[in-house]
Amino acid sequence: MSISRRKFLGWMGAAGLSTAFGSPVHAAANKHFKGYPDSLGVLFDSMLCIGCRNCEAGCNKVNGLPPPDLPFDDLTVLSKKRRVNTRTFTVVNLYDHSEGIKNPLFRKIQCNHCLEPACASACFVRAFTKTKEGSVVYDPSVCVGCRYCMIACPFEIPTYEYDKVLTPRIRKCTMCHPRVIEGKLPGCVEICPNEALTFGKRKDLIKIARDRIRKYPDRYVDHIYGENEMGGTSWLYLSGVPFKELGMREDLGVTPAPELTAGSLSTVPMVAGLWPVLLTGLYAVSKRKEKIAKIEQHQAIASTLEKANAEAESKLSKALAKAQKEKDAAIKIEIKKALEEAKKTQEKEGS
Amino acid sequence: MKKSMLQWAGILVVFILVLTLCIEAKDTNEILEHRSDLITIDTLKSFDALERPKVVFLHDLHTEALEKSNKDCKTCHLSEKSSKDRLSLKFKRLKDTGKQEVMDIYHAECIGCHKEISASDQDAGPVEVCGECHKKDAGLISSNLPVAFDKSLHFRHTEANKDEKTNKGDCGLCHHEYDEKAKKLFYAKEKEGSCRYCHMKETEENRMSMRLASHSGCIDCHKKAADNKKKTGPIKCSGCHDPDMQQKIEKVKVVPRIERKQPDIVLIHANKQKTNKDDRISRMNPVPFDHKAHEGYNDTCLACHHASLDSCSKKCHTPTGSKEGKYVNLESAMHQKGNKKSCLGCHEINQRQPNCAACHSLNAENRMLETSCQICHMKPLLKNSPATTMDEKLMAEMLLKSKKAASGTYKDEDIPEKVIIKELAEEYEPVELPHRKIIKTLLNNIKDNTLAGYFHAEKGMVCQSCHHNSPLDTKPPRCGSCHSKPFDGRNIFRPGIKGAYHQQCIRCHQVLKLEKPKSTGCTDCHKDKKK
Repeated sequence: MSISRRKFLGWMGAAGLSTAFGSPVHAAANKHFKGYPDSLGVLFDSMLCIGCRNCEAGCNKVNGLPPPDLPFDDLTVLSKKRRVNTRTFTVVNLYDHSEGIKNPLFRKIQCNHCLEPACASACFVRAFTKTKEGSVVYDPSVCVGCRYCMIACPFEIPTYEYDKVLTPRIRKCTMCHPRVIEGKLPGCVEICPNEALTFGKRKDLIKIARDRIRKYPDRYVDHIYGENEMGGTSWLYLSGVPFKELGMREDLGVTPAPELTAGSLSTVPMVAGLWPVLLTGLYAVSKRKEKIAKIEQHQAIASTLEKANAEAESKLSKALAKAQKEKDAAIKIEIKKALEEAKKTQEKEGS
Repeated sequence: MKKSMLQWAGILVVFILVLTLCIEAKDTNEILEHRSDLITIDTLKSFDALERPKVVFLHDLHTEALEKSNKDCKTCHLSEKSSKDRLSLKFKRLKDTGKQEVMDIYHAECIGCHKEISASDQDAGPVEVCGECHKKDAGLISSNLPVAFDKSLHFRHTEANKDEKTNKGDCGLCHHEYDEKAKKLFYAKEKEGSCRYCHMKETEENRMSMRLASHSGCIDCHKKAADNKKKTGPIKCSGCHDPDMQQKIEKVKVVPRIERKQPDIVLIHANKQKTNKDDRISRMNPVPFDHKAHEGYNDTCLACHHASLDSCSKKCHTPTGSKEGKYVNLESAMHQKGNKKSCLGCHEINQRQPNCAACHSLNAENRMLETSCQICHMKPLLKNSPATTMDEKLMAEMLLKSKKAASGTYKDEDIPEKVIIKELAEEYEPVELPHRKIIKTLLNNIKDNTLAGYFHAEKGMVCQSCHHNSPLDTKPPRCGSCHSKPFDGRNIFRPGIKGAYHQQCIRCHQVLKLEKPKSTGCTDCHKDKKK
């Protein structure tokens, strides 16, 4: 079937209209989500972290990750600004700090397990799930390897197994979801000697953090990082210096990532899902039109034929009548001629 | 083609040259000169918005230039009407009469003098171009520091002005009061207080600002003494305000007490004129206060008597607060934490020194035993004693004498020498804690601290730094009876046993800056388990 330009434009218009009417409905369903009630999280207190790297070792052990390049008791790596990678789900870095704080300052980096994860909102195959326990978990079986999640994450957490040609996966901290379901603590939390990591219900963690700020106003900055950042995260942070000095982004705002992209991204499944339906529909409509046109054509031909026949008949009859008339007239003329000739011969014979 | 290439190369070279020149020029600009004699001339702003940038004037530079040509301060400063010796701090005028007049004085006098000097072929200031004085960025940084007129400096001033015959200081040289009726300054003996009680930041009616008062008072006196060839204080800005010069100011090591008939010991209580018997404050026992000792801890009366030397509770910090005292009531005035002017605030700030903070930044920080009120608000020794001044003083003395100021604890045999912590011995051997040694060290750290002595006199008080929330006893409960499994949802603020031990030990070691055991050195405390 060939598609005319006019038809194609008509289809595009129809597709546009359907998305335009579809999006507000979808956006309304995407309103601010306060997180699952009683979901769990971890509070990291940089004033209690001593930079022992035990959490890195604990994470490595419980996740069965390959051994690191340098052993976990080598503390010289702390002063490098390391990032998480496919073989390391968490790192602790040492940060230069302003004067007045006597002890070195550390920050642990891992997935923050956003309440409304940017990675999940960017993923079009739904490989990421925010579980009711609080973790953001990843399903490699549906992942197509587009790495949109890596671009979407404001904390630069998901990493991709570029070295695996056939079965590459996204790797990141899972907040030890399998262990948490079993009632165990996340690997890093369990091993931390100084309870710089507190595990518990997120709402309790906020209470604990507020209590520490209230009790030691000189020790802490009056802010809980992650309480509202990017709509809130399941990992929360306390610090004695502005969070920027711990290398943490302070420009993220409090709007969750999905809300920022809901307007445009919500049309994606709509368009992707509706196109076949719409196209089939349009195809069916055009098919039906063709069928009707055919029937109409047949009818038209039949009627034309009838009309033509009738016309031809009338023409013939007229022609015949005319011919008859002409014939009659000719006979009359001939008779007249014959009568006059007869009269003339009679007169000749008579005179 | 070759020609155009050459042209481009030429342009590039010129561009780079200009760029490097610019960068270098910027670099030289960034090395700013530090001076302690910067004066900003912006007098006209009190009349109208300034039309040109403020003039940054280097006072010492001008004083030195005048000295060289044997001119004195009177070249620029006029004598005040009140006294010929006192010079006006304003330039070539006594009063700011009007915008145009003041501007004319500066322009005519400054430029006139510069012109005169440059005519005699000497280096002089700007003469023609406005922007040479009215610079947006003079490229100078002020290193001017306020002068700390401490006890040592005060003592040196009294000594210098002692009468040779009577051997008595002339306090009236600096200290004075204002007689409203006679509109005159007069000296009131034993009423001396800080200049700042009257001379505020800004000039008010007939009371000049602290800045004006100190500059005219100090410099006039220094100059007069210098003219009489006596040893005296600085006259130039840098002499008092330059950080390096301040270091050179002589310090008297042992400063005798300032004699002003101030009390040695006071019995502090709310305003005596109590009318209501149910007044809450009057129910508190008065505080015997060692005024003499506290004089030694502070450099100036201002440390506590921040606005005047009158009674705190009479007008300002009344029991319920008053407008004069910005509604800071007596309780707050005496107990406000974090405020150095209050008793408790100053004591608390004292607590931040490592020897105190080792314990007080742990659990004791927010803990106050009910009995600690009575350490200051002591129970009276004699009941129903008539409240006469004589009795009060006596009572305060007796109370203070009865006070113990010695940190102490139980006898050695009651303190376990070693404590074995085996709760968490999985990966490592149990920890052997040198229990008695720790207590001895903590006590030794505070043995010379009188303040600590008052509060740690009770046996078992020092133990509280670790055995917090426990009764004062030789056998406090085990840590594990409260701290067990971590992250207990029923006790969210309570650390688990592992966290409790580590947090307490590590925090204290961090505050005391102990090199060993290191916080990350596990085997410094925990011996490796032999396999």
